This record gives sequence, structure tokens and C-alpha cells, in this order.
Amino acid sequence: MAFLDVLMLGFSEALTPTNLMFCFIGALLGTLIGVLPGIGPTATVAILLPVTFFLPPLGALIMLAGIFYGAQYGGSTTAILVNLPGEASAVVTAIDGYQMARKGRAGAALAIAALGSFFAGTVATIALAVAGPTLSAFALSFGPAEYVALCIFGLLAATILAHGSVVKAIGMVCLGLVLGMVGIDVNSGSARMTFGSTDLYDGIDFVVIAVGLFGIAEIATNLESKEIRGVLQSKIGRLWPTREEFKDSWAAVLRGTGVGTILGVLPGGGATLSAFSAYSVEKRISKTPEKFGHGAIAGVAGPEAANNAGAQASFIPLLTLGIPSNSIMAMMLGAMTIHGITPGPSVIQNQPELFWGLVASMWLGNAMLLVINLPLIGLWVKLLQIPYRLMYPAILLFCCVGVYSVSNRGFDVALVILFGILGYVLRKAKCEPGPLLLGFVLGPLLETNLRRAMLLSQGDWLVFFERPISAVLLVITALMLLTLILPTIRKNRKAAFEASED
Amino acid sequence: MSIKPAANGRDFPDILAGGVLIFLGALGLWAGRDLTYGTPAMMGPGFLPKSLCAIIALIGVIVLIKALSKPHEALDAVNPKPLLILVAAIAGFAFAAERFGFVAATIWLLVVGSLADPESRWKEIFISTAVLTTLGALLFVYGLGVQMPIWPF
Repeated sequence: MAFLDVLMLGFSEALTPTNLMFCFIGALLGTLIGVLPGIGPTATVAILLPVTFFLPPLGALIMLAGIFYGAQYGGSTTAILVNLPGEASAVVTAIDGYQMARKGRAGAALAIAALGSFFAGTVATIALAVAGPTLSAFALSFGPAEYVALCIFGLLAATILAHGSVVKAIGMVCLGLVLGMVGIDVNSGSARMTFGSTDLYDGIDFVVIAVGLFGIAEIATNLESKEIRGVLQSKIGRLWPTREEFKDSWAAVLRGTGVGTILGVLPGGGATLSAFSAYSVEKRISKTPEKFGHGAIAGVAGPEAANNAGAQASFIPLLTLGIPSNSIMAMMLGAMTIHGITPGPSVIQNQPELFWGLVASMWLGNAMLLVINLPLIGLWVKLLQIPYRLMYPAILLFCCVGVYSVSNRGFDVALVILFGILGYVLRKAKCEPGPLLLGFVLGPLLETNLRRAMLLSQGDWLVFFERPISAVLLVITALMLLTLILPTIRKNRKAAFEASED
Repeated sequence: MSIKPAANGRDFPDILAGGVLIFLGALGLWAGRDLTYGTPAMMGPGFLPKSLCAIIALIGVIVLIKALSKPHEALDAVNPKPLLILVAAIAGFAFAAERFGFVAATIWLLVVGSLADPESRWKEIFISTAVLTTLGALLFVYGLGVQMPIWPF
């Protein structure tokens, strides 16, 4: 069986001692930053990107992926124990998880969260393994027009499904696209928007933008206000859930997994959106909705399964189409580019060991997380006591040396300052920097294909509607934009996101 | 920075966002002023950058105009001091890295950078700087082979 063959290939790649080590480091690091408030997975991946430059390609991807899903686990630990969600995706877990902790059932909440996440991670990994080859075979027939439509669909859908104002997010996407065009234009050889600086001829490096917008700006905003520290309310209690708790949660885990796997694939989706949707599904479906908010275990199980499934499933569009769906996937794309891999449908064909190795390592990583999290829970709680003032100098050093190492010049470090300030101002202006990063990584792909498509069609814009796949994608995009104008949907979307704020 | 609520309300984050977008769009148009635009069939190097910058500025105008009539929303407290200290710390590192080497650049970065948190204490700063500089040199320069001299001479 071909499927078993590739799976064997994947596991033989993922089970080499070095790759196992990278997987473990990633999962451990992810848990760590998930637990620590004030530093998120996006910033961590941004900061560690340059370090992965020195690793083998598969090892680098395995480690970065581990950080991402590890952070989903770690974030829920603090959400349950101290009501401080380490990550945005764990915000809903805090609602019922913390109430369970106050009733002395923290152990059960943690165990259900971990087991549910493991189950969801397994299912989403299988979904990736099944969907990957099919989708990428389909995408191999894409021409320039389809790629343009896919980029536009991906970018606009990401702005609609993401948090906050759509108009501002589209502005951010355009800004990212322009930033991606700085440097020498490959078609004409002219220097674009370099302000006369030869240092900018090669363009702005992805790492510079990522570290500036997510690393430095985050440190600056964290230092502005006084640190919030959680207090451990109660004992963790017995870890193993009771028979009743199992009965109440297994269906929620299944539903959460389904919600997360589907929403994770969508552009702009991923862990956070999945968790929120799963929570509202559970509340609506429950026979005892009044229990929600007072320690309903289904309110922990559903969202926890969903956020992990969502995190895993968001790898599907990146690995099969080469289109990242959120800012972490944009970073993964950046990491692949650093190693000379062009993400997209050809990866499965030309470098099967990379794709299947990563898939297999995700499942192994999820299993490792179970071991890292449950027995060592006490250790993670202790880490909450580390004050930020001792952590951020180390983060700062990683940022600066990392950026310097990209091309061994101080110029890039100086450029980081500009993006740090930009990131700070954007935060004050309530603009999410995520879409900017998506625009930046997709800019070159969009421009090359747009030019090619228009050259082939001799300047006829209708070409995008003559080809069926691109026409469908563009029509869906237009419909999504239209629905935003309709008042009822606008209101619902606003309500959904308002619930998710803070 | 305190902003008095205006009678008709004003969304200050959106006013800032609009201003930033207009400024950046205009900056991009100015920076790309010499690039040829071309035609759709033969796009010049300036086709997309110029179009996109115009869209950015336009979005800025829309956001700004809408912000004036939106319900009042104040800016979050702005305390630029940590940011300015971080800028000074990183700028020093960028300048010193190639000229004076890892140790000098890192000590500047960490000592100045630590001042950004008012809770920092000198004793902690000295210890963490010493530890991080040593570990950093071992990890980055010896371990990962980052091309940076260690000492100024």
C-alpha cells in the first residue's frame, strides 16, 4: 500500500535521533512559552527563525512546528490553573477550566485538555496525511491565473476571518505586499523603493520584519504596563477524571476535533477561531447550558480539542498549496524559503521525506507533549513565578544576534528598529500585524504570477474569470466581502470577536 | 497622554491607523516615483507598487473619515519610554556588532535594554548581563558560527 509506504518513510525520517531531539526541543520550548505570559508562539517562532538557519531543513521545520502546537498545550495549563491564558487560543479554556480548578478539579481539567488535544492532534495529522497528496495533485495543474486567484482568496479570507477591522486588515495586507517588492525587480532589473540604499537591493529579509513586528514591538508593549501575575488558587487534585467526567467530555472532544480540523484549513483560521467556535457549539448543543461558565467539563474538552486540531490543520494549505493561513504559517513559509524549499504542491512529489517526516513528527510531538505536560505540571506552575524583567533581556539578545546572523551585517539590526517602531504604532492603532506578514510572504508569488497571467492574456483582465478554478475562487472571495456589508452578519461577526477580546 | 472624550465621539486608534496608512502610502508613491508603470500586458516595475501604495493611501483616507464619526474610543495609554530605551539599546548593538565585536555590543544591548523595565535592579542587571554574554558568545559565535568578532581588537 502506497499510503503505508509513505507513512513508513515519514516515521523513519522523524525517528532519527536528531529529529527526535528537535521535536522534543520544539515541544518543550512551545510548552514553556505557552505557560509564560507575555511571550507568544508567533514571537518565539520569529525569534528562533534565524537559529533554524543552522539546522538541517527537516529538523528546523520539526522544531518550529513543535513550538507552535506545544504552545497550544502550555497555554491551556495556565488558563486552567491561574485563569491567565498563555495564548489567545486558550482564552475560552479559562472560562470553565478555571472554575473547575476552583472546585478542586484542576487535575481532571488538565487531563481532559491534554487527552483531548492528543486525540485531536492525531485526527488532524491523519487529515493532513490524507488531504495532502490529493490537494497537491490538484494544485499541480494550477497556472498563473489560478495562483493569482488563490493568493487573493487566501489574503482576503485571512483578513475577514481574523480579528478586528477588515478595512484596516486589507490595508495591512497591501502594506505587506509593497514591502515584499522592495529591492531589485527580477523582471526589469530596476531598484524599487530602496531610497537609494544599496543595502536594500536584495530586499528586506523576512526575519527582519518578523522580529521587528512581533519580537521588539511585543517587548515594548509588555514593558509599558505593570506585569500581571497569576496566583495559583488551589491544589491540582487527582489527575485522572471520573467516569462521569469522561462521559461528559468524549463527545465534546469529537465535535471539537471536527470543528478545529475544518476551521484550521481556512485562511485566517487556526487555533483561536477553532477554540471559540467549538465553545459556542458545545454551549448550544448541551442539555445543561446553564452549567457553562461554572465549570462544565465539555467547555474545556471541546475548545481544547479544537485549538489543537486547528493548529495542526492549518499546515494543510501551507504544505499543499504553498499558501499560509495565519502568521505562524507565514513564518513556517519563511523558514522553508531560508532552506531553499519552495512550499507548494511540488514538495510532496519532490521531497516526500520532508512532508511525511514533518507529518510523522507532529504525531510524535503530540505524544511527547502528553508526557511533558501531565507529570511535570508542578514544574510548569513554578515557572509562572519568573518575572518578565529577567526574561526579556535574553529575548532581546536572541532577536538582535538572530537578525544579525541572517547576512552578518549590522544594517539588518538597524532595520529591525524601524519595524519595531512600526509594530508598536500599529498595536496602538489596533491594527493586527499578522495580515502584513501574510502579504509580505505572498507578495513575490502574487506579482510573478499576475505579470505572467496578464502577459499570456495580452492585458485582458477577464482571464481570471475564464478559467474555472480561478473564477470560483474569486467569486467566493467577492461573496465573502459582500456578506460583510450585510448588517446581520456584520453584527454576528462583531459579537463573536468581542467575546474573544482579552 | 490623556485624550478628552469629544462630544460626537472619535475613534482615536482608527485616526492613528488612517494617518499611518496615508503616510506610508504616500511614502511608497514618493519612493517609487521614477518606476515605469507599464500597461497591464507589459507591467513595468512600478505597476504593482504604485497601485498598491495608492490603495493603501485610499484605505487610510476611508479609515480616517469613518473614524471621525465612530463612537469615542481612546488610545491605550502611551508610554514611549521603554520603546525609546529599547531603540537606543538595539541601535548601539547594530553599530557596535561589526566594529567592536560580540562582547561589547551585547553588554551595551543588555545593560541599556534592561533599563527599559523600571523594576530592574543593578545587581540583577550585572549578573544577567554577565551570564547572557558568556552563554551567548559560546552558543552563537562558537556553537552556531555566527560571523561576528568576539573582542574589539
